[in-house]
Amino acid sequence: MPKPILFLLQGAGIELIYSFVIIMCSLMIYYSTREMYELSSYKGIKYFRQAFLLFAVAYFFKSFIKVLLVYFETSRIIDISPRFMGSATLFLFMFFGSLAVFYLVYSLMWKKWNGQSKTILAIFYVVSIIISFIIITTKQIEIFIGVSVFIFAVAIFGLYITHKQSHDKKKKSNITIIYTLLFIFWILNIIEVLIPIRQGFYQILLYLASLGVFLIILYKVLKKSGSD
Amino acid sequence: MKKRARLEIIRDILRTIQENKNSIRQTPLLRKSNISTSKFKEYFRELIEKGFVKEISGSSGERKIALTEKGFNFLERYKTIINFIEEFEL
Repeated sequence: MPKPILFLLQGAGIELIYSFVIIMCSLMIYYSTREMYELSSYKGIKYFRQAFLLFAVAYFFKSFIKVLLVYFETSRIIDISPRFMGSATLFLFMFFGSLAVFYLVYSLMWKKWNGQSKTILAIFYVVSIIISFIIITTKQIEIFIGVSVFIFAVAIFGLYITHKQSHDKKKKSNITIIYTLLFIFWILNIIEVLIPIRQGFYQILLYLASLGVFLIILYKVLKKSGSD
Repeated sequence: MKKRARLEIIRDILRTIQENKNSIRQTPLLRKSNISTSKFKEYFRELIEKGFVKEISGSSGERKIALTEKGFNFLERYKTIINFIEEFEL
């Protein structure tokens, strides 16, 4: 049987397509907001763009590296143990993904934390490294869930503060719901990586829901940035 | 009176230049911008550095300020940028 078909049957094809669409959506968000940032130099837009660039990098490490290593049998060319590569890609996925969530929170909160941006961002980097390190060194599911709840709590705190301060609560609750869904699906994606549910109905449902959230954000970005 | 945000001040300065047939001296621009001299110098330096405005010679040789293509582009896109910031609560 040719390798690509075997690959698709193994479920890696679905994961690859899923990651590809997420990466494309994230990069489209990043590039469609470039002109607005170049003109305005507005910090909120800067952190928002960086969050989606980091999501693209995270999903690259989630699937593409794995697929490249397995499909092209890289181990025959480079002598690296699959276990080490697995841990390294998981570390990078967790690091860039957590950082993306923190950047998104920061894009909402930067006005409140202005003047301390270097310190706050340094804390986010350190926390992302710690989270990734805990994830790859611990095998306990309770710790995975604890870390997920922590990231989620930070994200919800950011949303709550922003929502509390917003003047037009009715209008803005729309985007708050989308951000909340994005954070929930990020957590579910971490759990899916740590406890793989291969070819299951829930995996496909999770992928479709995550894609839906990313596509809604992309649609809103293209519509509001005048790129549609 | 509500304090103007940074982008709003930039929009007002650029619009003042545009409304003066894209040619105005620095002193009347400062007066019409309705900000302090030190703040104006800060904004003016930023606008020059970002290529939104340029200095030109008037008909009698005096130094005037004019919008560049990027400056006009900012004015065109201002509303979109503000809508985007408001939509995503940035």
